[in-house]
Amino acid sequence: MKIVVCIKQVPETNDVTIDPVTHNLDRRGLAGVMNPFDKNAIELALDLKDSRDDVQVALLTMGPDDYAESLREGMAMGADEGYLLSDRAFAGADTLATGYVIAQALKKIGDADLILFGRQAVDADTGQVGPIVAEFLQQPQITYAASLRLSGDNEVTAERLLEDTKQTLVAQLPAVVSVRSELNTPRYPTPRNIQLSFDKPLTTWHHDDLDLDDTRLGQAGSPTIVTKVYAPEPVKRELTKLDGTPAEAASQLITALKGRQLI
Amino acid sequence: MSKPELWVVAERRLDHIEPTTQQLITKAKHLAGDQMHTVAVLFEATTDHLEDELKAYGPDEIRIVKDDRFPTATDAEIADALQQLVTSNEPNSILFGATITGRSIAPRLQAKLQTGLTADCLDLRFDDDTLVATKPSYGDNIMCEIICPDHRPQMATVRPNTFVAEPTDGAATVTTATITFHPVKRLQVKTATPVVNTATTVGDASRVVALGRGAASATTINTATKLAEKLGGRIGVSRPLTDQERFTHDDQIGQSGNTIHPELILNFGISGAVQFLVGMQDSQTIVAVNSDPDAPIFDVADYGYVGDASAFMTALLSQFN
Ligand SMILES: Cc1cc2nc3c(=O)[nH]c(=O)nc-3n(C[C@H](O)[C@H](O)[C@H](O)COP(=O)(O)OP(=O)(O)OC[C@H]3O[C@@H](n4cnc5c(N)ncnc54)[C@H](O)[C@@H]3O)c2cc1C
Ligand SMILES: Cc1cc2nc3c(=O)[nH]c(=O)nc-3n(C[C@H](O)[C@H](O)[C@H](O)COP(=O)(O)OP(=O)(O)OC[C@H]3O[C@@H](n4cnc5c(N)ncnc54)[C@H](O)[C@@H]3O)c2cc1C
Repeated sequence: MKIVVCIKQVPETNDVTIDPVTHNLDRRGLAGVMNPFDKNAIELALDLKDSRDDVQVALLTMGPDDYAESLREGMAMGADEGYLLSDRAFAGADTLATGYVIAQALKKIGDADLILFGRQAVDADTGQVGPIVAEFLQQPQITYAASLRLSGDNEVTAERLLEDTKQTLVAQLPAVVSVRSELNTPRYPTPRNIQLSFDKPLTTWHHDDLDLDDTRLGQAGSPTIVTKVYAPEPVKRELTKLDGTPAEAASQLITALKGRQLI
Repeated sequence: MSKPELWVVAERRLDHIEPTTQQLITKAKHLAGDQMHTVAVLFEATTDHLEDELKAYGPDEIRIVKDDRFPTATDAEIADALQQLVTSNEPNSILFGATITGRSIAPRLQAKLQTGLTADCLDLRFDDDTLVATKPSYGDNIMCEIICPDHRPQMATVRPNTFVAEPTDGAATVTTATITFHPVKRLQVKTATPVVNTATTVGDASRVVALGRGAASATTINTATKLAEKLGGRIGVSRPLTDQERFTHDDQIGQSGNTIHPELILNFGISGAVQFLVGMQDSQTIVAVNSDPDAPIFDVADYGYVGDASAFMTALLSQFN
């Protein structure tokens, strides 16, 4: 059984500021780390690997060459190999163009039974890449899985928490799954696994290694454009006074909360 | 020439409409003015009448697609149905709630249509017919405006409770549309059960009853516990209350405790020290009850009552019953 976990590298902290002169994001001095939610996806894959002896876990990331650090970290956790998709042509991709390159790479890797994603990247926070890849590969998707187990030879059963409903879903493999962080606690790399990770294969694919339609890549292949980046204004609130006896005031509050659909 | 269509994809929560849908219909009407035709797209079973929960909000049209498989349809099946509707109606823009469901279906549709999707938006406006969507990123520390100039439809998911739903008098035309339901046999929803309150900590709760030194008696805490249960939420406390046996640091809100942004927080007997406020001032709706009219907590509150915390709480709880 082959599992591919897609991972992203993100800035170490979300405390980013806007450069007052250029109005661009000031990311100077921010080290990259693996998107924390992706560690839950890796942990799930490793858990499945621990439970059977035929499981191979590969990691896949699209990004600049330093994203290799996150691949190494994932291999130190226990993944077997890593794929880095790196090319200037991929830069500036929105979720659609990112999903396209990842899907093309997954086709080249071939025969993955389970493709895992984190819940979302903590920087851009869209959670869109998983479903996009699932669509491009024409596979069933289970998003925001709160639990997942193999329930047959070729089948997984997952729980998914919607706002106020818990669903149980059963998917035939191959399938795409994105996981919630409550699912598990990611393991730390052990010194031995760190040592071992340096001998694990890390494959880099550039533009020409993949079968790609150039109009769908990078900034040019991205339908969305970020036109402005700014620091949010603190929320200005207007105080509505509740008055009268406690009972009268409570009744005013109930009306107000109903108006806001909170009760 | 007919007006361009602005769609809101209606979402169901078990047997009801998810409130974000109604909020988005109100917002869509404001955005559309008389330039666009607002359509609520609704997928339901043949015997359902969820449109009755949409009419009051006055979209120009409620377009219903009926099939008994919709209530348990999977993301890809709904996205496929939407794609068929998009192909036949060519909407200008489509809005989804940024709920788990909306955030799962919308990107699947985005990939089918190869268009742009802006996630989890906090504001929307049109510049001519370009949708300008404001989205937060880096944990809400940064805002950005995103457009999708060359592809249609333009799509966005919008954070729940960002806009307020307002009932109107305008009558909605109800129409029906047909699509071919393409079942995806490889994925099945086996069960769907309601969950009442999944929050295990004050950090995950979407409703919080916060107690401070002015609401610290055992009876008040008991009343607050019942109130939190009714709201489907949790109790959180200011630092002085962590000295009580019933609370720990895990329950504390503030600079040296949890930073929370629930959709609703009710603050009882809390003065509003800056170390407390930094932990909760991004909550969506803030209510404060304090006997001191000058308590700083009122500066960040949407609703405030000057008076006794315990008396107000008791009155509120009894009116819930
Ligand atoms: C401030 C800002 C706002 C943005 N807003 C939008 C927007 O609204 N719409 C839009 O289309 N694009 C947006 N983008 C572009 C988007 O960040 C990139 O397309 C990014 O490559 C993937 O999207 P994401 O970070 O949201 O990942 P998500 O979709 O949140 O990531 C989900 C999962 O997909 C996997 N994954 C994500 N990226 C990669 C990768 N590069 N390699 C391998 N696996 C990966 C991981 O498992 C991750 O947990 C924005 C970018 C910025 C900087
Ligand atoms: C480094 C540092 C970190 C800190 N971190 C935190 C933190 O993370 N979280 C935190 O909460 N605090 C923190 N504090 C403490 C903080 O400064 C305040 O002391 C604390 O928040 C006060 O809690 P309170 O509002 O419950 O109590 P008080 O300030 O004593 O306020 C009690 C309020 O109750 C009102 N009241 C009294 N009786 C009634 C009644 N019957 N009905 C209605 N109202 C009534 C009073 O008018 C008053 O406004 C920190 C302090 C420091 C120095």
